Amino acid sequence: MATERNQKENEARVKRKPLISIPAPVDSLLAGWAGLALWLLLLLLLALYPYTGVSSVALFVGSQIFVLVTLASNWNLIGGMTGYVDFGHAVFFGIGAYIMGILVTGSPLLISPEWGFWQALPASGVAAALFALLIGLPTLRLKGPYFSIAMLGTLVAMREVARVLRPITGGGVGLNLPPLLNRLGDYYLMLAVMGLVVSIIWWIQRSEFGQSLIAIREDEIGAEMRGINTTLHKIVAFMIAAFFTGTVGGFWAWQNTYIDPDVVFVEARTVEMVMMSMLGGLGTVWGPPLGAVVIYFLQDLLWGSLFGVHLVALGVLLVVIVLFMPEGILGTLGDRSSTSLGRLLSRVGRSK
Amino acid sequence: MRHFLLQISLLLVVSLVLTSCSLAPPAPVDEPAPASADTDAEKIIYLGAAVSETGRFSREGKDTRQGYGLWLDWVNNEYGGIKVGDERYKVELIMYDDEGDPDTAARLVEKLINEDRVDFLLGPYSSFLTQSASAIAEKYGKIMIEGNGAAQPLFERGFQNLFAVLTPALNYTRSALQLLAEKGAETVVIAYEDTAFPTSVADGAQSWAAEYGLEVLGVETYPVNVADVSGIMSKFKELEPDIFVGGGHFNDAVLFIRAAKELDFNPKAMVITVGPSNPKLIEEVGADSEYVIGPTQWEASMSYADDYFGTAAEYAARYEKLWGEPPTYQAAESTATALALHIAIEQAASLDTDAVRTALRNLDVVTFYGPINFDEKGRNAGKPMGAIQIQNGEILVVAPTNAAVADLNYPAPPWKDR
Repeated sequence: MATERNQKENEARVKRKPLISIPAPVDSLLAGWAGLALWLLLLLLLALYPYTGVSSVALFVGSQIFVLVTLASNWNLIGGMTGYVDFGHAVFFGIGAYIMGILVTGSPLLISPEWGFWQALPASGVAAALFALLIGLPTLRLKGPYFSIAMLGTLVAMREVARVLRPITGGGVGLNLPPLLNRLGDYYLMLAVMGLVVSIIWWIQRSEFGQSLIAIREDEIGAEMRGINTTLHKIVAFMIAAFFTGTVGGFWAWQNTYIDPDVVFVEARTVEMVMMSMLGGLGTVWGPPLGAVVIYFLQDLLWGSLFGVHLVALGVLLVVIVLFMPEGILGTLGDRSSTSLGRLLSRVGRSK
Repeated sequence: MRHFLLQISLLLVVSLVLTSCSLAPPAPVDEPAPASADTDAEKIIYLGAAVSETGRFSREGKDTRQGYGLWLDWVNNEYGGIKVGDERYKVELIMYDDEGDPDTAARLVEKLINEDRVDFLLGPYSSFLTQSASAIAEKYGKIMIEGNGAAQPLFERGFQNLFAVLTPALNYTRSALQLLAEKGAETVVIAYEDTAFPTSVADGAQSWAAEYGLEVLGVETYPVNVADVSGIMSKFKELEPDIFVGGGHFNDAVLFIRAAKELDFNPKAMVITVGPSNPKLIEEVGADSEYVIGPTQWEASMSYADDYFGTAAEYAARYEKLWGEPPTYQAAESTATALALHIAIEQAASLDTDAVRTALRNLDVVTFYGPINFDEKGRNAGKPMGAIQIQNGEILVVAPTNAAVADLNYPAPPWKDR
């Protein structure tokens, strides 16, 4: 009996130990300046990519991937680093998209003259951030699944609001944006936004602000007792995430040239963000971008090779990953800042 | 230990998948042979389309694919290729699955234009996807001809390269309302789903009602995927209208008919979009579907004919032989889409986009699907919408008169007398 228990404990210990521990210097290098330097180098290479004479499809795929990386990183800021699992984050995407749609079409609100894309884009972000302030004040008091459900409710509610406010939003008919497409411009714009967002998150993780967020995630009451203004920290993180998600939403509306409530306020978009962050490693800087890229290409690959059952295959693969790699790719590789979704969702009322 | 091994093997699997991602060759691209390939190489026209094979439009997408496929099979194997001047061109159609997702549709249309270098584009299924796809075609100045997007906003964007063979949504209820007005109906109520296509139908219904001297007593909207319409129907019951117009999708037709019966709401005619022209409605609600009127883009019993597919009935027989099921109107309008492009190319005697665009603008033909004559916005202004009525479990065309095979039964008896 005793040996059996010993064995079990041993197993548990093995399980807890990182699978492959990256030697400490490499680990801290990635989190430190070298990580940023590598990131900037990657951005530079991506900026040079269009010069190799690629087709506009490649540019479009590029900007779609940058959008996903940006969304996943944003979600990670509130969901992974602060520990507030936001199942309604797509609401900020939708608000950004609608602000863009309303401002550039002008007609329903009788805004004249209509705004240009460049004026409307920051407005999309600002509107989403203000909405985050408004909705965050009540909902960020909730913990664990209660917060998740409240945000999911917000998403569904806003979808209905967009449907009902017909004179402003066009109701269920939606809005048609001027179809002025520029794939090269889109590519560089989203590259810049992605570069900025991931760099900001890199900086946040090293800063006192970021450490406070992680303290909140690990033990909110404890953090409060140590003098961290938890409300302020949570709201700021929420607003930063919302700002960039709204900006991306505004961009998406422009690029798709058409929005309606069912195409911008979709649960699937949130699920995508959660999945990507989780696959890469919740709470890490480089995990969500990695997860986004992996999922994008995985989808493409499955679509090409397993057509017909590709969605089933993707689902099964993700379930398997979640079950056996709860801390994502980077967590499994030993990145200590990662955490698992299950842990975050089980923080109900308890301080941990 | 077991978990450790599992994790290791999973990691291996994941990394293998990742490696294969990076090594996987790009999706097959049917690189067209240079058109000017001299000697006796076969001349080919490349067409492209992104049509749903999976996702929310998979059923209608299948009809669309089969409609395109029928034309393709016929033009290559029977007709001998499109005549351009003195030459015959075979046609190759590259189709991808847009998964019902606007991002994917946009990417695929971009790919069709820039990597597959298609000469012309055929439309996807649904107004919703046509919105995104046509914006890209317009940007590159590629002609997109479609038969499955009827919503009005599509044609309000000033596009020069979008053409639609189907009757625009505004005209959906026109022939039914005209006929009913002639039969003595005086008042009408309208309920429609709050999305682009039904809204256009309802806007049109209101203006046609005014045109034919019908008084509109009430207009109500309801959200997409509604589960219950009895609130609207009981409101309408008190207004006692002669005509009820319902704009929505298949399930809404079922809801309208059931709610009307349950509440004993007795309009003398029910005009409902999409549902009634589909035989599945009769299966679903049985005898209660009697007397229901529905607009239809096309029915096999219509009296249209052309030199290519013969009569509408002959088209239907050909379709059934190829695909093993009767054509829906979505399939017929897809075939007509490709046929209209085909005729325009022959009339232009050129593959040049500008020449074909001009030919499309000037096109004025009658096909098995009906007349095709594009207005300055790219809509088919020449084709009247048909109307069918369900009589003794059969779907019979009652309007327009030159295509009708039966008389309209009006008024419908109250529910208690049936």
